[in-house]
Formats: sequence, C-alpha cells, structure tokens
Amino acid sequence: MNCDLYRSEMYAWRPGSDEKSFQPLFDHLGSCAECARLFEQLTSSDQQIRRTFQSYPESPSLESRILSGLAHQRAQAATGRSSWRLWMLAPVMASLLVVLFVGVTPQLQRAKLNREIAALLSKPPTLQINTTDRKQLLEWSAKQLEGPPALPADLDKVEFRGAAIVSVETHKAVLLKMKNEQRASLVIVDARLTQDNRFHSMQEGSGSASLWSDGGRSYVLLFNGSEQELHAYMTRMGITA
Amino acid sequence: MHIGDHTFDEWVQQYQRLLFGIAYWWTGSRTDAEELTQEAFFQAYRSRSSLREIEAVKGWLVGILRHCHSQMYRKGRSRAEIPLEEVIEGSSGATEFRSSGVDRDDSLALHQALKRLDERHRLPLVLFYFQDLSYREIAEALELPLGTVMSRLSRARQMLHASLAGPVAPAVAKKIGGVSAL
Repeated sequence: MNCDLYRSEMYAWRPGSDEKSFQPLFDHLGSCAECARLFEQLTSSDQQIRRTFQSYPESPSLESRILSGLAHQRAQAATGRSSWRLWMLAPVMASLLVVLFVGVTPQLQRAKLNREIAALLSKPPTLQINTTDRKQLLEWSAKQLEGPPALPADLDKVEFRGAAIVSVETHKAVLLKMKNEQRASLVIVDARLTQDNRFHSMQEGSGSASLWSDGGRSYVLLFNGSEQELHAYMTRMGITA
Repeated sequence: MHIGDHTFDEWVQQYQRLLFGIAYWWTGSRTDAEELTQEAFFQAYRSRSSLREIEAVKGWLVGILRHCHSQMYRKGRSRAEIPLEEVIEGSSGATEFRSSGVDRDDSLALHQALKRLDERHRLPLVLFYFQDLSYREIAEALELPLGTVMSRLSRARQMLHASLAGPVAPAVAKKIGGVSAL
C-alpha cells in the first residue's frame, strides 16, 4: 500500500476507532515520517474543527417558544377530543331525548286526563237528554260520536237516565248518568286513551274512576265515592272488561 | 410506548440546544435552525409513540430533525440562498454567541466550507464533529447503512480539510478533484 492510500485511510480513523482495523495504518505511520506528520496535523486540525463547531449563536427564547407551541398543540388536541366526545355523545343525547319524549308524554297525557276526570266528578255537566230509554240514549250518543249505538257486553246490566256531551283530551265524548246509582256515570270517549284493555283505576279528589278501552273507544266509569265502593259497584253490575 | 407531556417537556429542555446546533451547521442560518428545531420537536411530539426505546431518544430526535431538514429544502429553500450576511451575523457578536475562544474567521471559514459540500456529505459531517456521535448513531439518525456513512464521512472529512487548507496531501487533493469541483 502506498502513502496516498494510507493518507485516505487517515480520514476514516477517529479517536476510539477499532485499533485493530487501523493497525496497518499505525504500522505505516511508525515507518513514514511524512505520513506521521500529516496524521498529526490532521488530528490537530480535527480538534480545531470540533472547537469551531461548538461555537454557534445562542437562541435564548427557543426553548420557551417550543414549549409554548407544544402547549398550543395539546390545547388543540384537547379541543378536538372534546368535539369528538360531543359527536360521540350526540346519539346518546338523541336517544335520551326519545326516551324522555316517549316516557314523559304519556305521563303528561295521563295527568291531563286525570284533571279532566276530576273536573267531571266535581262538576258534572247538565244533562242534555233526560230519558231512561236505553236505546234512545245510545242512539243519541251515537250521533254525537262516531260508531255504532252499542255498548260492550259487560255494560249490559247498566241502566241510564240521561246524557250530556263532554270533551275528554279534545276528543268527542258523551257522559251517561246511571239510573240506579246516583253516584255513578259513564263517559264514552271516541278515542283510545289506554293501550290495553285492562282497568286503570284512578283516585281523584272527589271520587274515583276506572278507565278501560275496547280497542276503538274508551270508557271511564266515574264514581263519587272511594275506590273500594267503585269496585264493589262494578262487581255488582258485572263490569269485568 | 407512552410518553407523558412532562417527560417530553424535559426532553425539550435537554435536547433543544443540541438540535439547534446541528440545524445551525446544517443550514448555516440561525433563523432556519430555530424553525427546524421547533418543527422537529412538534413532529416528534405528534409521533412520540414511534419511539421504541427511551435510551434512543437523542438519535430519534436527530432523525426527525434530518427529516424536517429534507422537507424544508424540498420546499425550495436551499443553503445556497442564505445570504452570507446572515451567516456572518450569526457568527459575529451581533447576537449572543456561544463561543469557546474560537476565532470568528475560523467560524466563517467553516460555514463557507460546509456550504460547498453537498447535503449527502454535510449532514453526516456535522453530526460527526458537532456531537461526536458514533458511526452507528449517525447511520441510524440518517437512515443509512453503516458502510455508506463511513465512506461518506471519510470523503467529507477529506473535502472539509482540503477546503480549510488543512493537512491534506497534494495527492489526496488531486484524487478528490478539489472541493470546488464537487
């Protein structure tokens, strides 16, 4: 190997390099004064270059600028996460609203119905037709309502003495006063106020009531007495819908 | 790997000076170096989950800095466009200067010598001298094979010494064809 190649190899060497790999170079430096001089100059020059590299401007505000930029990034990310969470919550909120609507609306309707029933119990309307003729009363009632002049079979035993037009939850309705029980009256409503055909008892301030439906119409049995008295009356009359 | 904000802020405090120094010698511009350092930390924060070992954080940050540097120069900025006045200003007493008794002329000469080198040689050379990283660390930061880094560094050092009128032998100077011709 000639000096030129050894001098090229000098540039691959650095302090801490694997000495074995550079042993041929060091052997040559031991026998070539010119190359040894160049190597010494190279090493010295390298040290000077290193020192020069360490000389560069200060940037006193750089650290605070980076930290402030990072804080901004984090704030933006937090905002993004909040928006994302809001979007994720939107279906939940919508579901809650639906549940509230579905759950609360019937409650509100029922409260309104109760108030109207209470009003009918405390202030019964003036009868517009006074007769005990069941057929005549039912035909009169059928004219005010939509549907046939008939009652469910479980009301067959009940006799009436008069009727009046009323309104329940904005639906057309007729109130029939019972003949043999002054405290009782029947409201026939031209709408379905309950989803099933079971009795729904209500205790209002001046009496009790029982609501049921036959699918098309709803019936409210009003009674100026306790709930027990109402049930006793219903049993007596065979009202077991 | 989860890296908390507090840990990352500590890295900023610990390594911002190093990254700024490397960027300064890569770009020759204090302004560009500040911009690069900031961008490198911002990108590092966004991709902090890609760090595999805490011990490798320095090389990881330098690698991101190198990536930002490539992005910056792909966007059309090049070292050749930096006015010499800025380089001189950066090396003069006009700004607060981190100096260890280095001659201002040496600093300017180094800037000019680096300016003549292409990026392939300048980037590893700065890492080699500035931070004295091992060949392996430089290779990892630049995403290059170890052999490539060693050969580029050997050549870059020859060119640098030749440019600084160092101890390069005439035969070597002839062999590399002179720095200005590169």
